Amino acid sequence: MEGVGLNDYLLVGAVLFVAGVVCMATKRNAIGVLMGVELVLNGANVNFVAFAHYTSLGLDGQIVSLFVIVLAAAEAAVALAIALNFYNNHLTIDVDKANDLQG
Amino acid sequence: MTPILLMSLIIFLPTLGAFLLAWFDKKAEEAMRVFALAITIGTFFLTLQLYGVFDASKGLLTDGGENLGQLIVTEPWIPHWNIEYKLGVDGISMPLLLLTSFTCLLAMAASWSIKKQVKGYLILFLLLETGMLGVFLSLDFFLFYVFWEVMLLPMYFLIGVWGGPRKEYAAIKFFLYTLAGSVLMLIAMLMFYFDSDSLGNDRVFDLLRLAQLAKHADGLDPVLQQTAFVLLFIGFAIKLPAFPFHTWLPDAHVEAPTPISMILAGVLLKMGGYGIIRIAFPLCPYGAQWAAWALVAIGAFSIIYGAFAAMAQTDFKRLVAYSSVSHMGYVLIGMAVWAIHAETGELIGGDYWLMGINGAMFQMLAHGVSSAGMFFIVGVIYDRVHHRDLNKFGGLAGKMPLYTGLAAGIFFAGLGLPGLCGFIGEVFVVLSAWNYDKLLAIIAAAGVILTAGYILWAIQRVFLGPEYKGPHPEALSPMNGREIAIAVAVLFFAVLLGVYPMCMLGMMEPTLADLTKELQIGYENARDLIPVATEVLTEK
Amino acid sequence: MSFETLTQEIDCTRETLKWLLTVAWLLPLFGFVVEVFGGYWGDRKCKYASYFAVFCIASGFICSSAAMIVWQDKTEWGERSAASSGHGAVAHAAAEHTEAVGNHEYQMPTSFTGSFYSLGKFGDLEVSLDYYIDSLTLVMFVMVTLIATCIHLFAIGYMRDELTDDYVDHQVHTSDGGHFHRPGRFYRFFSYMSLFSFSMLGLVLAGNIFQVFIFWELVGICSYLLIGFYVERKSASTAANKAFIMNRVGDFGFLIGLMVLWTYFGTFSFVTVDQTGQSDGGLFYMVRGHDGELQVDEEANAVTLHTNSEVPQQIPYYLLVVAGLGIFAGCIGKSAQFPLQTWLPDAMEGPTPVSALVHSATMVAAGVYLAGRFFPMFTPEVLLTIAYVGCITLFLAATIAVVATDIKRVLAYSTISQLGYMMLGIGVFGWGAGLFHLITHAFFKSLMFLASGSVIVGCHHEQEMPKMGGLWRKMPVTAFTMLIGVIAISGLAIPGSQLLFGEILAFSGFHSKDAIVASAMTFVSVNPVHFLLYIVPLVTAGITAFYMFRLWFYTFVGEPRDKEIHDHAQESPWIMILPLIVLSVFAAGVAVGGESGQLFKLLGDSEPIGVAAGTTDAGMIGLNLPGHAAIHQHHASAGVQALLVAFAGAVIAFLFYGARVVDPAEIKRNLGGLHNFLVEKWRFDELYDVMFVRPVHVIAAGCTWFDRTIIDGVLHGTVKIAIWMSGWHRRFDEGIVDGLVNLVGNSTFAFGRSLRVFQTGQLRQYIMFIAVGVLTLFVLLFIAFPK
Repeated sequence: MEGVGLNDYLLVGAVLFVAGVVCMATKRNAIGVLMGVELVLNGANVNFVAFAHYTSLGLDGQIVSLFVIVLAAAEAAVALAIALNFYNNHLTIDVDKANDLQG
Repeated sequence: MTPILLMSLIIFLPTLGAFLLAWFDKKAEEAMRVFALAITIGTFFLTLQLYGVFDASKGLLTDGGENLGQLIVTEPWIPHWNIEYKLGVDGISMPLLLLTSFTCLLAMAASWSIKKQVKGYLILFLLLETGMLGVFLSLDFFLFYVFWEVMLLPMYFLIGVWGGPRKEYAAIKFFLYTLAGSVLMLIAMLMFYFDSDSLGNDRVFDLLRLAQLAKHADGLDPVLQQTAFVLLFIGFAIKLPAFPFHTWLPDAHVEAPTPISMILAGVLLKMGGYGIIRIAFPLCPYGAQWAAWALVAIGAFSIIYGAFAAMAQTDFKRLVAYSSVSHMGYVLIGMAVWAIHAETGELIGGDYWLMGINGAMFQMLAHGVSSAGMFFIVGVIYDRVHHRDLNKFGGLAGKMPLYTGLAAGIFFAGLGLPGLCGFIGEVFVVLSAWNYDKLLAIIAAAGVILTAGYILWAIQRVFLGPEYKGPHPEALSPMNGREIAIAVAVLFFAVLLGVYPMCMLGMMEPTLADLTKELQIGYENARDLIPVATEVLTEK
Repeated sequence: MSFETLTQEIDCTRETLKWLLTVAWLLPLFGFVVEVFGGYWGDRKCKYASYFAVFCIASGFICSSAAMIVWQDKTEWGERSAASSGHGAVAHAAAEHTEAVGNHEYQMPTSFTGSFYSLGKFGDLEVSLDYYIDSLTLVMFVMVTLIATCIHLFAIGYMRDELTDDYVDHQVHTSDGGHFHRPGRFYRFFSYMSLFSFSMLGLVLAGNIFQVFIFWELVGICSYLLIGFYVERKSASTAANKAFIMNRVGDFGFLIGLMVLWTYFGTFSFVTVDQTGQSDGGLFYMVRGHDGELQVDEEANAVTLHTNSEVPQQIPYYLLVVAGLGIFAGCIGKSAQFPLQTWLPDAMEGPTPVSALVHSATMVAAGVYLAGRFFPMFTPEVLLTIAYVGCITLFLAATIAVVATDIKRVLAYSTISQLGYMMLGIGVFGWGAGLFHLITHAFFKSLMFLASGSVIVGCHHEQEMPKMGGLWRKMPVTAFTMLIGVIAISGLAIPGSQLLFGEILAFSGFHSKDAIVASAMTFVSVNPVHFLLYIVPLVTAGITAFYMFRLWFYTFVGEPRDKEIHDHAQESPWIMILPLIVLSVFAAGVAVGGESGQLFKLLGDSEPIGVAAGTTDAGMIGLNLPGHAAIHQHHASAGVQALLVAFAGAVIAFLFYGARVVDPAEIKRNLGGLHNFLVEKWRFDELYDVMFVRPVHVIAAGCTWFDRTIIDGVLHGTVKIAIWMSGWHRRFDEGIVDGLVNLVGNSTFAFGRSLRVFQTGQLRQYIMFIAVGVLTLFVLLFIAFPK
């Protein structure tokens, strides 16, 4: 049995990603959805870091994941503001009710 | 004055007048009328001056005739297509020019009865005059066509705006008929243009060059001549008008205001005859000879048909209109009595044909005078009682004796009474016709009975009898000075032409003598080509 | 006489004659112009117009007489007729004549030709106004101007009630039931009369057949104006139209004749005479040459013309016949011959002086004059036609005259009948006889018309004879002059007077009618087949005497039938009586001496060459045409027969209407059908109405219908088709072209719309889509690119 290798990281990342997607798909609460988003982003981050470590990418993977973390933070701030506003208008944060842009 | 200036001035003086009229105040109707009349008088005097310069003995206009002292002037217009501003007069156009400017003068004098939108009327009238004079002066087919169309539009508006109750119908009918004719003429014109390089020269629209070409042995193909002649003939026959292209005439005449009826009958109908004699004949001598019998037959039939139709009318103006159809039939006969030997193609009795053409030309002038007069006479009574129903007149001889006297004189001129203009033309044509075809000559001669019938019957219904039977009897006032002057002028010329026809025949005869000679040469040359042409066809 | 002096003399004579006659001819035209304008602006009550008209025509008479004297003085006019009408030697007349010409090589001609001015010249063809002056022209000029002067004078009296500003026409009723009022038209009457005289004189002076046609028409229009003088009367204007249109029918034939002549001869002039008095051109010369024979080319069935050109010129024989018949058709119309006779009685609508002028010197005379003038052009076939037409006409008109009761109508029918005699005379080769009768008839007929006018005025415009009677006591001069006319026309003479005086004492009509009957008799004797041409005129001579005396007895003799009219009747003023007396003198004496008298000799000088000799077996129908000698042989017996018949007619008339021993009403009852038939003028008017007038109106309506329905129908149909077509155009544009464009737009739109269903707005759904989509892409990627 070898030590923890790339595949294990990728597996963790995939689990995180899938968990995030499922969370996004199943949660009706906007906060939950946001949490799913965070999971997906972090799943991706794991992959970046892992590839950076095991391949010749160097620091690029880490830098991208740092960007992602910053972006996720910004995104969470904006999303939370939207959710708050949405709640102010609709007294709910159920995303299923947010269908004003329906075609 | 140089010829080009003189001729251009004749054509464009009315246009200039129309342009100046546009600056007049709309309410100054009397001033505008006087001004327009002055313009027509000026134009008339210019044509008289041209007549002074004109020398009848120079004969028919020919290519290069300016070197022989003929009145031809040429300026390039659209050099790319060899279109020229080419004007000229000979014995065919000179009398008609005089007639045109004189009739316009009379019609303008008769225009005082027009009360509606005087300014527009006068402007259109003057433009019409430009078109008519241009047609008679131009010697370039393209220029001719342009003037021909220029004439059409003012006429359409003059009928359509100032006309009677059914003016729209009449104007559209007139327009469509004439336009159909123009289109046929346009086709023929292009045919000539594209075939005019047969001798290796440039393509031309020049009528004199084309006539020269038609005369030449290898000039224009006989089949082309036949086709083109049919096209041209239909185009001109509509204007003439000959049966069965005549039905625009009664409607147009009935609806048109009096002065415009005078112009229509006095000048416009002559364009048909002029076109045939100036364009259709010289450009297609072979086609003309080929179709001569049909022309005479159509002419003879028109005479009888028009006379019969006139007899059945109850509208005074319609009657006069149909009499025009009848009278213009003589023109067609006179031009086409071109008798040739069936086998050799030689001319038989060329002098009779010459007499016929002279008679036809004279008939055009005579009809121009008499029918313009007749329409004026009808107009005078219409202005007073506002109806034209022949059965609701009567007794005018007692109420308006001077009017009746002048009217009788003018109507007798139309009837073809010797000593008045109608007689000479009709009788010369009929006399020349026997040489061509006995039966058709007899049919044409039978017209004298019918003509007498409908004119005398009309006179009886309108002027004779004890009392006036129609509405507005109180309006039957004697003619005023202006009306008397017009009627007297017409009657004077009717008598002058009737008593001394040489005043016009002398002007026309040398030209027409040349024309018949040229046509015969052209025909014989084309005829020589015919067996060759059939051989070529059979080889293919 | 040397050639030069003769030429000068001829020129001088010709110019003198020309100008005298031209002045006589143009003065009435000048009069017309002055009268018509002066009268219009002048006073209605002034008589100057009439004086001027009389002045013009009387001056014309003086000029004509002067011309006649000049002509008689300068020419040796008797010689030719003397040479050719010599008794017994007629067979050699032609030979003698040529001999005479040979002997007198430089002889003054008896006819003069020349030209006024040209109407048109086309190559070798020329139409001009010419003059032709011979004895016939001169006799006609003198006759026309003399009679016209008398009639003008008479008319001053007759038309005097027009001299007013308010003329009441009792025959016209206005719609409010009153009579029609109008200003008098005295001046206009005289201006028309002047124009009429001008036209007639122009016709006589004309030197070519075309010019004859010109004045022929002018005479027609003048008659139109005068017959329709009372324009308010419907009957008058209709009669005027009828006269003119009937004449035009004849003129149609005339025109055909002209066309044939013009085409084959290339000239219209009768004869042109050169300096030596020989004819060298013109129609007559071309047909007849110098000896009067037709040169018939039997093979070509054509007549060879005498021309100076090298190329022989021919005219088909049948066309020469057509030309002759055509010209004669004109004569039929103008002289009111059968079958165009119906206009003349209706022409009585004009004032009586007009009737007098129309029926004697002008208009109707023109037809006979032309038939005489154009005689050389007539082939035997044409002559026979002329004879038969005359024969039918004279009988037909005479029968109608017997039953007519209107005094003017009786005279009108007698005119037609007498014109028939003239035509017959010309047709049976009695050229001189026909024209002789023309002249004598002009005098006695104008006399009778004026006398009847005098009666009508005297009876206050009553024209019906049954209301007259016994008028001779009231108007003796009129009655007496009328009697002279009646005797003249009836052809009565004093039998046996020639034994006492050497010649028969008779009025003019006897001599001329005698000449015609003799010609007819001779003609029948050589052509027995055509016996009717003698029997009918002979019988009609009796009928003529009967109806003319009937008229006279009816009007002037016996007890007055209408007391009121008789009481108010009075003799006319001197201005009307004077012309009657003048004319009665001429009616009685103009033909003194008969065929050896001056008048007949004068006319004989113009006789066409060849008439004197006569021919046998002429033309295609083999007619024998008798010469002078033959006619002379039958003269005496014909005269006796005609005289007997005339006396019989006169006696019967006396018994019926003079002595009143037989009651005409009885006969009228017994022959009711025949009487009605005659009163209705053989029903010609009805026949023509059905045969011509109505069909013409039907055809006219048909032409209009054709125009309106067929030609305009085609036109309107074309327009409708064009509109219909443009409808389809619009549908094509809207359906196909626009449809394609719209289809593209619509389908794009529909596709977009169909995508909308995916836009649910369900966030979680979107995520599912993304997830599933990515997965699918991956799966597909792996399937497509498996390592």
